[in-house]
Amino acid sequence: MDAGDPYNDVVRACFADPVHAGDPERRYTRNLSAGAEESAHGVRLVLSAGIEGNTVKALRFRVWGCPHLIAAAEVYCREREGGEVEALGNLDVDEMMERLAVPVSKTGRILLLEDAARSLFEMAAGKEG
Amino acid sequence: MNDRPVYLDYAATTPADPRVLDVMRAMSGIDGVFGNAASTHVAGRRAAAAVAHARAQLGALLNCEPTRLIFTSGATESDNLAIRGTAIARAGRGRHFITMPTEHKAVTDSFHALEKEGCEVTWIAPGREGLLDLSELAAAIRDDTQLVSVMHVNNETGVVQDIRAIGGLCRERGVLFHTDAAQSAGKLEIDLGTLPVDLLSLTAHKFYGPQGIGALYIADRPGCAVFPLSFGGGQEKRLRPGTLPVHLIAGLGAAAEVAAAVHNDDLLHVTALRDRLWAGIADVDGILRNGAPDATYPGILNVSAGDVEGESLMIAMEPVCVASGSACNSISAEPSYVLRALGLDDIQAQAAVRFSVGRFSTVAEVDLAIERFRDAVGRLRDIAPAA
Repeated sequence: MDAGDPYNDVVRACFADPVHAGDPERRYTRNLSAGAEESAHGVRLVLSAGIEGNTVKALRFRVWGCPHLIAAAEVYCREREGGEVEALGNLDVDEMMERLAVPVSKTGRILLLEDAARSLFEMAAGKEG
Repeated sequence: MNDRPVYLDYAATTPADPRVLDVMRAMSGIDGVFGNAASTHVAGRRAAAAVAHARAQLGALLNCEPTRLIFTSGATESDNLAIRGTAIARAGRGRHFITMPTEHKAVTDSFHALEKEGCEVTWIAPGREGLLDLSELAAAIRDDTQLVSVMHVNNETGVVQDIRAIGGLCRERGVLFHTDAAQSAGKLEIDLGTLPVDLLSLTAHKFYGPQGIGALYIADRPGCAVFPLSFGGGQEKRLRPGTLPVHLIAGLGAAAEVAAAVHNDDLLHVTALRDRLWAGIADVDGILRNGAPDATYPGILNVSAGDVEGESLMIAMEPVCVASGSACNSISAEPSYVLRALGLDDIQAQAAVRFSVGRFSTVAEVDLAIERFRDAVGRLRDIAPAA
């Protein structure tokens, strides 16, 4: 990270290779999607999960947004794929912002991820989809 | 290519020309010309002579009397001195001013400050292509109008205003005309011997000179006077007091002399590169070229990539250095006010990219920029949700 670089190493790595970007490669027993958007700047985020039983077999994202949001979505998906459904709702915004060195002015972008994650979890917990 | 960044941001600043650096190096140190130009001893006189030489070089570039040039720290200071200095000097005659919302912040913020102090400013919106409608200017000029300020070349779009026509109208109506020529001095021909310009701002680092030095031209005409904004010495006719940075001024003079010799070659070079760049990206789906194509300085190409987020586009294009239409990676998340004034919506404005090429740009750099731009747009569109 250069001095003055607005992106830390985690953001740069996730942005360069967002392996969880896109859609689940196949259909699962339950296939859920939840999104959030901030219309003023056109920022949009969609999370898509493929669930078998209580396990998140596949978790993907689509983002129209800044590198910090792309990185946050990548970290969120990477760390919950293969885990239990309950983890979908566990997103500590402050911790994510600290890990990614997100400037305070961009708090709203990470809150979008929180909104989408909460919606996805509620759908999963409610056994919708 | 070495690990040097692929620099296509010449509108932000240019690297100093080696011929400029040679001059500045020779000025530095105990064997150089380091004296205080205000001192009367031999070291001071040598410094004063170097300053006079640089002033003459800049005067030759602009075809003006060198004594009409005031050295400043750059175009921002020159703009402030021109606008605020005129407002103070002419406060007894009237407090109405005219400008455009697409001016550089140095100009718009100067006028906003005057508005807060009770002055009235008419902001003339540009047409879709960024140009000033002369009939709107004619209608806006009033008996109490003191100054019209319209930039020569827009720093974001490269749109070139017809300063001869604008200045001519101002002369007819007895109004002073200031132009911010930060993007045009040393790049386009500026003949102050024939142009009806009363005040002109420029900065050296936009035409291969050093950062931290610029100038304000003040025409030798009745009523054309500015009031100083700082005080503390007699330098620069008391308009810009302070010890003169002799090596920077010498660098500015050298840059002016080089520009006078090569600016036509520079124009041909950047035109060819700009055309190659546009040809390489023009077929990208949804791309929009911003600014009047037929009235644009060829070193600048501003495009909007459509449904791509601007900040991500910037980082995806690395190591190509270009400018974004959005400042959201700095302190503001606002899309470009210049592009919004041209009628672009927020999404189009924040997705804008300003490519600017210059004297040292190469075909290989442009080709890499084309490749990176196309790849970045495609990659970001691939991961975007449906609109």
